[in-house]
Amino acid sequence: MPIVVNLDIMLKKRGMKSKELAEIIGITTANLSILKSGKAKAVRFSTLEAICKALDCQPSDILEYVED
Amino acid sequence: MKDNTKLLTYITYAILLGAVSVLLNDMREFDFNQFEKFQNWAKVADKNESWFTSKNAIEWSYYVISAGIFFWRAYLIYGFSYFLSILKEVENGNFFSNKNIKYFKKIGNIFISYTVGILILRFLLAAINGSSFKFFNELKAEFTFLIPAGLAFYILAEIFEKGKQVEEENDLTI
Repeated sequence: MPIVVNLDIMLKKRGMKSKELAEIIGITTANLSILKSGKAKAVRFSTLEAICKALDCQPSDILEYVED
Repeated sequence: MKDNTKLLTYITYAILLGAVSVLLNDMREFDFNQFEKFQNWAKVADKNESWFTSKNAIEWSYYVISAGIFFWRAYLIYGFSYFLSILKEVENGNFFSNKNIKYFKKIGNIFISYTVGILILRFLLAAINGSSFKFFNELKAEFTFLIPAGLAFYILAEIFEKGKQVEEENDLTI
């Protein structure tokens, strides 16, 4: 998939653990793992909003388009 | 939902038991001794006589086809038993599972092959009896409703296939 999720990089930058983020945005660690691994088919705006709020970043910091 | 599934399961069991008992009763009433008579006839038959046109051979064919109709009816009941498998999947919450799609296709196959098989057997019976076989009159018989029912199950299988894709997509939406 040409959309790459850079959540790991942002988490490292903010010094936050996946479990913490999952708790803040209200999703399971399993779902966050799906999102991080790029296996997710879609991301809800509400989830994206919560991630951006928790990590104090822009959607473009998390999602990136890379041509195959 | 679960209560509805339980009720449907009980109704399906009742229908299946009813169908099996009717079939067994019909088989009990059927004179299987005719086969024995044929065997005895085969032993003493005149080998020079034309086999196909002899009265015994015709009678025997008639009974073989009647037995074939019993077999087909049992096959239809077997098809109905897949309803129980589908209901079990639904009870477990697996609505759009691969198993359900497979069961719908199997039921569709059984319904259509049953109708086609019965039509062929009825045609053969009519040919043996020397009675006329009117295809369109046969189509008016109540069992032919199983053809559209079979097609409906194929359509359901397609819908469930699409439903499964949507469910997977929904599960992977974070």
